[in-house]
This record gives sequence, C-alpha cells and structure tokens, in this order.
Amino acid sequence: MTLVQALFVVALIAVLLAVIGFATVVVAGAARGGAGSFVTPALLGRMVRSPAERAEVDRWAFYAHRISGFAVFAFLALHVCDVGLYGLSHRLYDQVHQLYGTAPLRLFECGLLFGILFHTLNGLRILAIDLADLRVVTARRLLAGAFALTVVLGLLGSVVILRPVLG
Amino acid sequence: MRVPGALDGWVADAGAAARPRALGTRRRALVWVMVRLTGLLLSVLVLGHFALTHILTDVANTGSSFVARRWGSGVWLAWDWLMLAAALAHGTAGIWVAIEDYTPSPAARRRRQWALLALAAVLFVLGSVTIARVILG
Repeated sequence: MTLVQALFVVALIAVLLAVIGFATVVVAGAARGGAGSFVTPALLGRMVRSPAERAEVDRWAFYAHRISGFAVFAFLALHVCDVGLYGLSHRLYDQVHQLYGTAPLRLFECGLLFGILFHTLNGLRILAIDLADLRVVTARRLLAGAFALTVVLGLLGSVVILRPVLG
Repeated sequence: MRVPGALDGWVADAGAAARPRALGTRRRALVWVMVRLTGLLLSVLVLGHFALTHILTDVANTGSSFVARRWGSGVWLAWDWLMLAAALAHGTAGIWVAIEDYTPSPAARRRRQWALLALAAVLFVLGSVTIARVILG
C-alpha cells in the first residue's frame, strides 16, 4: 500500500466514524427530545400498523434524512480531495482510485447509494409537500413509496456494483 | 428542512429563547429556497454522476484516462462544477441547522458553524482549482 492509499484509508475511516458519531448525536437527541416515543416495543408495535396511522415515521424520516445528508456530505469532503489528486498527479489519483474497485470500498459504495437514494427521494417528497401542500396521509404514502424505491433501486444497484467481486 | 412533527431539536436543546437571531427572516427564506433549488438540481446531477461512474461504467474502469476523456467535454466540466457548488451550498445549509439544533452553547455553536464554512470554502476552492486547471490545460 502506498502512502497516498494509506492516507485515503485513514480519511475514509475518519468519515465513517464522523457519520457514526453524528448519527449517535441525532438518535440521542431524539430520545431526549420527548416529542414522541423512542425505539421501544410499543413503538415497534405501532410501526406495523397501516402507513397512514404511523405518525412516528415522519420523525424517523426526518432523522434518516439528516443522517443520510451528513453521510453524503462527509463522503463528498473526501471525494473532492481524492479527485483533487488528479490535478496534482494522475499517478497518485490512479493509486487511490484502485481502492475504489476493491470489495470493501464497493460495499461502502452500496451504502452510499442507499444514502443518496433515500436522501434524494425523501427530499423530492419534502419539495412536493411544500409546493403542493399535500395532506398528511398523502405525504406518508409518498414516504412509504420513497422508502420502497430506495430499497428496490439500492438492491439493484448493489448487485451491479458488487458483481465484479462476487465472481 | 423542517418536516411536520420534527420539532424535537428545537424543543430539546437550545430552545426558542436561546435561538440566535443572527439570520433574519428574509435571509432564512432565501436559504430555504436555495436548499430546495439545489436539492432539485442535485437529484439529477448526483444520481446521474453515480449512475455513470458505478452502474453504466464499472468503478474499476473510472481511472485517470476515464476522467481525462470525460473532462474533454465542456458539458461534463460544467456538470461537475455545478454539482460541486450545489452540493456544498446544500450540505452547508443543512449541517448549519443541525449544528444549531445540537449545540446549545452559543460560543461552541459559532465555532462549529465557522469550521463548517471554512471546510466548505476549502473544498470549493480545491474542487474549482482542479476543474479550472483542466480548462486552462
């Protein structure tokens, strides 16, 4: 492993730790906030009701939006730096780029895809709520749709991304 | 960035009284519009970028020769620069609010928000210089 590759790996670990730290702050804030129930058996019981009745999902969509947005931004910070290497030296850029094709990085890219998909689809839903002044029930149906589409497109994309290393 | 029922951050941490009034209502409204516009733009730019570099092309084949070929076109240079600017503006505005929600101390809040602005500025300059060098040869 070359120096620049080692630096990239360290920076990537720092990004992952920052995301875990931020997510902890958000979830801890949710527990402290008391604006609704936290993850308890009672909440999980309510979660299996019909989508229109689950008021809690609005809050959890908000937290997921925040955490996914932070995660994408954290990766963006690293990505701007590794693409910046291209301007410095093509050889250094290619050294770091080689890592992107490895199995662990491909797994990371799948996670990134899920994050981008949820943040994008939920963001478009928020835009639709703001512009069209949608009813709460409609907004929750759109959230279910955004979640389902995230899972489906994320899994399909993950198959494409992981296929080269699955043999 | 607010969704219905998501008031916990406002209630739990700083509280309405402690909230700084540095940003006026009009400026907040402009930021709100900016976040929506850049978000809409990014839904195309980022998904398009990810699809090109991970789905349509295997990521192992996106080395410097791929970048050189792609950045031979002004459209892709404009795409990438616009994506950089929009993502940094959108992300900075989002994390700015998150910092307000989770940092009750005004001094610490100001420090973190300055650090965020500094990070965004550095990334903007670094990305813009990378693209400018390609344009200028």
